[in-house]
Amino acid sequence: MGRTTLDRRWAQRYPLTWGCRGVAAPNYGFRIVQRSLKMQPRTLMIAAGLAVAAVTAIGAAAQGLPYPKVADMLYRVMSADREVYTRMVVQRLTLEDKVLTASEHFEDEAALPLPAQMFRFGAETVMNNTEEFSYALLSLNPINRTNGPGTELEREGLEFVTENPDENFYGEEELGGKRYFAAVYPDRAIVEACVNCHNNHRDSSRTDLKAGDVMGGVVIRIRID
Amino acid sequence: MSSKTVYWWVGTTLLAAAYMAASMVVGGDRRPLLIGRTTDAHHQIEMACETCHAAGPFAGAAAAERALNETCRNCHEAELNAADDSHSRSMFRNPRMAAYWEKLDARLCTSCHAEHRPEITRTGAVTVAMDFCVACHSEDEQDIRLDRPSHAGLGFETCATAGCHNYHDNRALYEEFLVEHAGEPGHKPEPVHGLTARLRLRERPAETALGRDDAVAPAAALADTKVLALWAGSGHAAAGVNCGACHAEKPDAESEPADVAARTGPADVVAHWIEAPSTGACKSCHEPQARTFARGRHGMREHPGIAPPRNPVEGLERIGLSRVTPAIVTDWLADPFPPARMTVGEARLPMRADADARRALDCGACHRPHDVDTARAAVEACVSCHDDSHTRAYAGSPHHRLLQAELAGEAPPGAGVSCVTCHMPGTESRDTITTNHNQNDTLRPYEKMIRSVCLDCHGLEFSLDALADAGLVERNFRGKPKVHIESVEWAVQRSTADGRSGTR
Repeated sequence: MGRTTLDRRWAQRYPLTWGCRGVAAPNYGFRIVQRSLKMQPRTLMIAAGLAVAAVTAIGAAAQGLPYPKVADMLYRVMSADREVYTRMVVQRLTLEDKVLTASEHFEDEAALPLPAQMFRFGAETVMNNTEEFSYALLSLNPINRTNGPGTELEREGLEFVTENPDENFYGEEELGGKRYFAAVYPDRAIVEACVNCHNNHRDSSRTDLKAGDVMGGVVIRIRID
Repeated sequence: MSSKTVYWWVGTTLLAAAYMAASMVVGGDRRPLLIGRTTDAHHQIEMACETCHAAGPFAGAAAAERALNETCRNCHEAELNAADDSHSRSMFRNPRMAAYWEKLDARLCTSCHAEHRPEITRTGAVTVAMDFCVACHSEDEQDIRLDRPSHAGLGFETCATAGCHNYHDNRALYEEFLVEHAGEPGHKPEPVHGLTARLRLRERPAETALGRDDAVAPAAALADTKVLALWAGSGHAAAGVNCGACHAEKPDAESEPADVAARTGPADVVAHWIEAPSTGACKSCHEPQARTFARGRHGMREHPGIAPPRNPVEGLERIGLSRVTPAIVTDWLADPFPPARMTVGEARLPMRADADARRALDCGACHRPHDVDTARAAVEACVSCHDDSHTRAYAGSPHHRLLQAELAGEAPPGAGVSCVTCHMPGTESRDTITTNHNQNDTLRPYEKMIRSVCLDCHGLEFSLDALADAGLVERNFRGKPKVHIESVEWAVQRSTADGRSGTR
């Protein structure tokens, strides 16, 4: 799990709607700096703060922040919430306290939803409320085919973050007659459970994943027009 | 053409236009405007046009379609959420799914469920061709035949009709569920419907139970010994519910905040006695039952999402004519439809000739007000109106014989299968079991019945086969299924083929 920060200078120098493709797009004249994220004791409070930030992120775009900056802010909220759920709920209750299990069929088995499911439920809840932005967790080797690359940009972005796991991918695309800014962030296997399930699942095309590998990417889209 | 004829023609046209405009904007009978027979169930609310047509009169086509689709969720959202919708709107609203929008736009209910199109409407109010799955699942990475050799050669019109898949609800059909229930016997060793058994066996606290002598009512009412005896033997008396709970006008919560509970004192009850309480008295205690009743075909006109009849005075006010319109015109413009409740005569399913066609479907249609005999409501009330082959075949069927055995004390509680067991099964939430009064909840499609009912007594394969055999359903399950659904075998083959796990 990583956290990306952008140099404030490019946010001031470049227009709002310009797409950018990580360091591979030198014309845009900025670098993306990747830093590691360490779990803090007050993670829940931070997550709550970030949730507030997510609510204001779209508004921030309207006030003049560039789309990559807004996407990065959204990503940080999603990433933090997912990490908090994985470590403080799923890992604690399933591995440490051993009082619950986590399963895709959590309702049938009275279990916890998998972190990736929580992420998807959040994405779908957002889609019920707004069409201004959307996000999804995708992979070049998905278990569910629907989560494979569905557009040229998604394929390009997923390949980019797989080959460049310390960088992000930014671009623009037109879908359904509307233009979107899109950002792709590398998604790593943060715990053994991720790779165990993906390696052993009959619908997965990979059996050699290791903890820490980039398994896919988070794709965030923001409507431009 | 003579000038007189022209005048008549113009005058008649203007009058017809005025009538149309008045019925569209203000009120009155709108049946002449109906553009085509509505689907079953929706026919009950077809004259409450605003229920679905929520956009303004001058909205564009796209806005009107969006508004129309939003209204579907007013009544069907809870059902779709409970079904863990396999093709949820929220999933397809993501712009990354734009390529699918052109194939079959799953963001819109109306892509598959167009209304007022009787010539193309099939079971489930589906109006797309039955091979609609082919639109997405036949090419590229979504081609279902890529890793399921068992599906090679199957027609795409059979996916959702053979008992294997449903578009929305696959809770009893997903692969791991099939594998988990593979090999179960057709009839389980001790077949009992669990929730029904618990309902029958629940204990009522003896200290609150009431008897004949405890009844609090005016003397005239107490003189009706037949009613008194019925009440004393009812669940109401056993639960400590006295006459005033239904027959006494409730205190006004604002003016009498000190006592908003049911009136209990004799003088209080007598002073506020209501001879014939409305169904509101039932709902005040049985809110979950009332809520689910309004989601089914019997009570859908009571659903809060249904537009009430228009008020012509308000309509005239909108166009500035309320003060100049005589009362006789205002009365003529009153909305005659829809009535507050469905009646037996409005049913599209076959009804018995001796059933009272004018009978409105409220609580009292199935429950007698004093004896609250749920056994009567579970079969007798249903068969007193319904007259289709499935209903007619119930008497003497294996399920009916089990019910008779249970009522005779020869079978354990929950072993009997009444109409309600399958069509209105109990649901449990937070340790409370409630009878689902949406009689259609397990019927859209049949496979929804498997988890909540069938599997308590039957194996999954047997259940799938039985529900897929239309003739067997019509004969009310007399005999064995003559149809076999292979999905369980295929799922087991796939799960054991490569030694890798499923999604667990």
